[in-house]
Amino acid sequence: MFLLLFIAGSAMAQDRTITGTVMAQEDGLPLPGVSVKIKGATGGTTTGADGKYTIRVSGRATALEFSFIGYISQTKAVGGATTINVNLISDSKTLSDVVVTGYTTQSKRDVTGSIASVSGEKLKNLPVQSFEQALAGKAAGVNIIQPNGVLNNPPVFRVRGFNSISLSSYPLIIVDGIPVFTGDQSANSAAGNALGDINPSDIESIDILKDAASSAIYGSRAANGVVVITTKKGKQGVTKINYEGWVGSTKAQNLTPLLNAAEYVQIKNEARTNIGLAPAFFLQNRSDGSQVETNWYDYAYRTATAQNHALNFSGANEKTSYYVSIGYSNQDGFILGNSFERKNGRVNLDHKLFKNVTIGTNFSYSNTLNRAPNTGSLPGQTFSTVGLGRLAIVLPPNVAAYNEDGSYNINGSAVGLGANTIASNFPNAAVLVNEDRNTSESDRLIANAYASIQIVKGLTFKTTYGIDNLKIDNNSFVNRIQGDGVSYNGGATSNYVKNSRWNWSNTLNYSNTFGDHSLGALIGAEDQYTKSDGYGATRQNVIDPFIKVYQGAFGIITPAGLVQGNNAFRSYFGSLNYDYKKRYYLSGSFRRDGYSGLSSGNKYGNFGGASAGWAISEENFYKNSGISKVLTRVKIRGSYGEVGNINIGNYPSLFLYSPGLYGADPALTFSQAGNPDLQWETSKKADVGINLEFLGGRFSLDVDYYHNNIDNLVQNAPQAPSKGVPGNAITTNIGKMYNKGFEFTLNSKNIDRENFSWSTIFTFSTLKNEVTALGNNNADVFGATSLETANITRVGYPIGSIYTVQTAGVDPATGERIFINRFGEKLRFSFQRATAARYQYLEGPNAGTNAPAIDASLDAVIDGPSIPKWFGGLDNNFRYKDFDLTIGLTFSGGNKLYYGSLAGLRDQRFWNNEKDVLNRWTTPGQVTDIPRLVYGDNTSNGSAFAQSQNVFSGNFLKVRNLALGYTLPKGLLSKYGVSNIRVYAQSSNLWIISNYPGPDPEVSVNGNSTATGNSGNLAPGVDRNSVPSGRTFTFGINVGF
Amino acid sequence: MKIKLNNKLKYLFIAAPIVFATSCKKDFLNTSPDTALPIEDAFSTPARILSQVNGIYAGVKSGQFYGGRYLIYNDIRGEDFIVNKPNGVTGLDTWRFNVTSGTNEVVNLWGAIYAAVNRANLVIEGVAANASILTPAVAKQYVAEAKFSRALCYYSLLQLYAKPYVTDNGASLGVPLRLKGEKDLTGNDLKRSTVAEVYTQILKDLNEAEPDLALTLAATRASRNTAIGLKTRVYLSMGNLASVVTEANKIVSPTAPFTATSGVANKLETNIATVFAGSYVGNEAMLSLPMADLDAPGTQNQLAYYYNVESAGGNQEFFLNPTGILANAAFASASTDARKGLTAVVGTNTWLTKFKKPSPYTDYIPVIRYAEVLLNLAEATVTSDPVRSIALLTAVRQRSNPGYVFPATDLLPANLKNTILTERRIELLGEGFRSPDVMRLGLGFTAKSGTQGSAPAIPFNTAGYIWPISSTEVQNNKLIVQN
Repeated sequence: MFLLLFIAGSAMAQDRTITGTVMAQEDGLPLPGVSVKIKGATGGTTTGADGKYTIRVSGRATALEFSFIGYISQTKAVGGATTINVNLISDSKTLSDVVVTGYTTQSKRDVTGSIASVSGEKLKNLPVQSFEQALAGKAAGVNIIQPNGVLNNPPVFRVRGFNSISLSSYPLIIVDGIPVFTGDQSANSAAGNALGDINPSDIESIDILKDAASSAIYGSRAANGVVVITTKKGKQGVTKINYEGWVGSTKAQNLTPLLNAAEYVQIKNEARTNIGLAPAFFLQNRSDGSQVETNWYDYAYRTATAQNHALNFSGANEKTSYYVSIGYSNQDGFILGNSFERKNGRVNLDHKLFKNVTIGTNFSYSNTLNRAPNTGSLPGQTFSTVGLGRLAIVLPPNVAAYNEDGSYNINGSAVGLGANTIASNFPNAAVLVNEDRNTSESDRLIANAYASIQIVKGLTFKTTYGIDNLKIDNNSFVNRIQGDGVSYNGGATSNYVKNSRWNWSNTLNYSNTFGDHSLGALIGAEDQYTKSDGYGATRQNVIDPFIKVYQGAFGIITPAGLVQGNNAFRSYFGSLNYDYKKRYYLSGSFRRDGYSGLSSGNKYGNFGGASAGWAISEENFYKNSGISKVLTRVKIRGSYGEVGNINIGNYPSLFLYSPGLYGADPALTFSQAGNPDLQWETSKKADVGINLEFLGGRFSLDVDYYHNNIDNLVQNAPQAPSKGVPGNAITTNIGKMYNKGFEFTLNSKNIDRENFSWSTIFTFSTLKNEVTALGNNNADVFGATSLETANITRVGYPIGSIYTVQTAGVDPATGERIFINRFGEKLRFSFQRATAARYQYLEGPNAGTNAPAIDASLDAVIDGPSIPKWFGGLDNNFRYKDFDLTIGLTFSGGNKLYYGSLAGLRDQRFWNNEKDVLNRWTTPGQVTDIPRLVYGDNTSNGSAFAQSQNVFSGNFLKVRNLALGYTLPKGLLSKYGVSNIRVYAQSSNLWIISNYPGPDPEVSVNGNSTATGNSGNLAPGVDRNSVPSGRTFTFGINVGF
Repeated sequence: MKIKLNNKLKYLFIAAPIVFATSCKKDFLNTSPDTALPIEDAFSTPARILSQVNGIYAGVKSGQFYGGRYLIYNDIRGEDFIVNKPNGVTGLDTWRFNVTSGTNEVVNLWGAIYAAVNRANLVIEGVAANASILTPAVAKQYVAEAKFSRALCYYSLLQLYAKPYVTDNGASLGVPLRLKGEKDLTGNDLKRSTVAEVYTQILKDLNEAEPDLALTLAATRASRNTAIGLKTRVYLSMGNLASVVTEANKIVSPTAPFTATSGVANKLETNIATVFAGSYVGNEAMLSLPMADLDAPGTQNQLAYYYNVESAGGNQEFFLNPTGILANAAFASASTDARKGLTAVVGTNTWLTKFKKPSPYTDYIPVIRYAEVLLNLAEATVTSDPVRSIALLTAVRQRSNPGYVFPATDLLPANLKNTILTERRIELLGEGFRSPDVMRLGLGFTAKSGTQGSAPAIPFNTAGYIWPISSTEVQNNKLIVQN
């Protein structure tokens, strides 16, 4: 019967006209320019501006094919219909399947190197200042540690571990082909991450090139990994308008409980009476009889609000595509006086000038204003006596911030005495927060222009000229009443720094397919020039208290913040990609880099990498096997290469003498011991990996094993200070280190139904770092955190391991801290005894007799690695009808953290203490970890030198992101011309599961610093006098027109 | 036609970059800073060589060394100062004898002194290599100034990092003797010479410097009398009184008024206030390190910041111990001694106001004053020539208190030395002499305390008496032996 009808139907078929409309599934808008073809026939048509088409089909036509770039093609049976409407589904997978390797793009399926890609979608709507803050847990092998809660403080960003000892381990960041400035570019306490100038909502994709084969095209700058940012482009179709906005609230989390006024008085006086001193701390009453009780956290932290808006317009036709965006972000931090305000605009244009010539530009401008008090939480500020993070925990709780008449409660340069007879020498935090200012404002232009010419089919020449101009205006003011400014009666420091870089690359790209052979080749040349100039001054001695700006009247002016430097790169590079039947892959790349900072014989270095892959699943034998139904794709791959790190500064090879002054006379002094033999730091990277896809991509698993062998390590080799060499260090190639580990990325569409879907992304990475050789005959390199040393880099151990003097609790008999010296002997310590008798043997034949004092540089031992041995993320996304829920977890561990703040929180000077000090030893036999209190004791607690009782496990699990969204029904919206609206509520940093006693185990006061006194490489994992992290709640809306 | 034009444009796109690229300068990769000279130019003119000599003094003048902290450490180790701001950054642990090898005082002073030593060594070698562009006399003078500076550096190192000479005639370990310029990766390991060996080198340098130094020169640089003056100090530290006398006699007239008869006409200023206000390079100054707004001691290194009162721009870090030298009658309320005028009372405490310039604290640093030489000589002649000894003592006292007559008991042979030592504490208070004096006399440090903390007594040569060697030296010099 059916058969008969069918025959009849086809017999009746004649030429006729079919009409219809093609629309986009996601927003229901008509799609112009869609190709409509008759299956199996030549000819066809395209849809008009209204998405409508008309096509004449013969009676034999069975189906129509609809295809359009960026959408999944559809075939519709013709049947007897005269109207066929089609909803095309956006092929987001197609876009995300392309990885951008800087000079070229490649299909993800064809990649044989190790590249982690994160779509811009994943970064959307998050309450961050810069995109990389949102990368935590999103990509295997990529570790992000937010140092603390200071806004726009650059996170410690590491790709496959720490890849240098003395040089920066921060990856190379490429934005639309331009290597951009990174790091904290501010000159004062208002942190200014250079990447905070980039609006995260402009980012289409982030590709992180991890192994040498992928990154070798960046040669000497690739050892720390390369992060390639591609910004959004217009897509074919009518103009799209998108708005994303959120408002939020943030506050400090997990603040350490401190002694209240009564407890403070009790503890401090007990410390005094224990050693026969008279009480010196007393409660104070106001005139109304109420007792002064000050929670200094209230003068440091607040509940702050933030808002963020991004609006973009995009679209494209056959000739031109455009993406125009503007953004505004105004985020107040939970630290009083800390804020981040960014205004930015972007125009991305591509235009087909002639048939074979395309020109375009990515043009972005931003203005970012960072404000902050001195938080004492940026690298180098750790022991500042005016750091807010520290003041909040040390100031006496029985002293008021303000006098009853509203004036500041001060005593000379310090906070007022209250009823105490011993003054605190810390300043009143309220004065500093109210009167001092730090701002760092950047004007940033990142732009490029390109022209690309197709010379013959497959062969394209492209020339791209890019600039990154970053101008920073730093201003700070310190008041004359309290803090650093007292001794010079207030002062202001301003400086202005112009960083400019141009980069000009010319490439010739060939790509073609010859039967089963696909070939891609690239050669290119690139010049880059970077220049920094900065000038400024400090003015001191405010003439009139009204003056609070640099431009006002002051008594003294001295130069400050002078910057002058330049460097240049000249590079030649090439790459080759080949595959046979998409089964066997080979690729290689090469770069020859010349750098101005090296001496004439050593300027150029050669770098390169190669990789191979085998898509087993493309083999016929595999396709025919039963397993191919379940395990649909299998690809194994491997790579090896050599890349470099050239963050050596501008002139390390030169011996320099600096002119200066001796009083009023000229003085010339040896200022840099150069090293003309200095060469590139090189990193030999090996990687093997496997990509598995199950059930046609429903589950996928990528596994990588990597081994980075960094030899020729550039070290600021420490010199014996008695040599008197400037800085006691000479930059030299010495030392070796490796990083190795496994990376797992699991993608799973657990459930995918029309009304309910659940997907999971899980990343897990391991990292083993070991230093295998160091300069000066493997001399240990100590990692200082300003005045304190709690880290060591020693051959045979991971870089920057935690290194402290071991303690063994408190002697129950005497209440004295027990130290263990380098001979394994236990010593009791009491600050009460005479210097020579402070340390006494606890046990053994010499028990009770005097012992040599602990010498931290000799008696300390390694507690463990400070960098996480494993880390990752688990993202679960649920959708039920119009509701969606995202739970993003991150985890990290296997490392130790040095919680130096705890030493301060138990210091027995006039400093306030944490609540746990109430458990101090008071009676013989009592078992506790808090020694008997001795006034003035800064040794038993760990202030004098770093001690093991302040070392803790760094393991944690964080609920980093929890978001609940609701997408409004389409029908309702289309009446108003709105294609979609999603509203959501979100929380960041909601919950931390950890045994760490400090506020947040994700911490690193030394951040990315490479300064000798506070290096983030040499002294990671230190939490000292830092502000905590914040917890944020936001409500947002995304609207598309 | 249109196509042709397009094609031409196309070639333009290709050609332009290539033309531009080839026109790029060949020295694109040769960059150098605009603010520092290459080493090749450092000795290229007489003016630059002189600048380098000044650079040695600038090294000595580092705020971490003689520009501030070295004096402060030596004074606060003694019993005349009490901590008011118990801050680890501003000498708390030095004051209370709680330093370890890693304490910033211990590490930074060691580094600053040796940085100055290396500058001196580089100048000695650089002048020798470039002598042709200087006159022989000038070349010799510059080398002599470098040697003088090196001697001052080594003497300073011994005062904190080694046991005093009197312990065992210098048989104890001193410090590594670096006598060659260092600028490359070699030579980290060098053992400590003995105290005696270091003193021998100091005297060798000073003796070689003395004839070559300029006969007269502004007091901001060393002239012949400066080297002689330093020798009196060095010999006194070694207990070699005869040599103190020999050296001092070169620059101290036999009788009052005491003056130097050769070289700079050194003598006491009429008023001690003059020494610390205005003219820092008068006749009394034998070496005085200049400060200027653009060449100041630097944060938390400045003498006035540590000692002066807040109302005058100081930070009141340390006040005068009421049971220290402040208890002497010279500072009593009825005293008319001009040196009392170099103190001030704020609240319950008395503060040293000798260094009085507010931020950026540009008081010159007195390194050697004629008054010290007189007191050195007085101490050296207590037994050999008590009459002259008393005359020298009286000259110092009566400059500040013209009518003063020492009680007869103070001048008895048994008491004269103590009287002179007391006068030293009064006269040189805050100028970095107390700790070296305590140590060369074989004394212990006495206990002291105030509301902000207490410091224990440290008997002679017991734990804490001298500083440990800097931890960074121990880490990088395998031949070093810790104290």
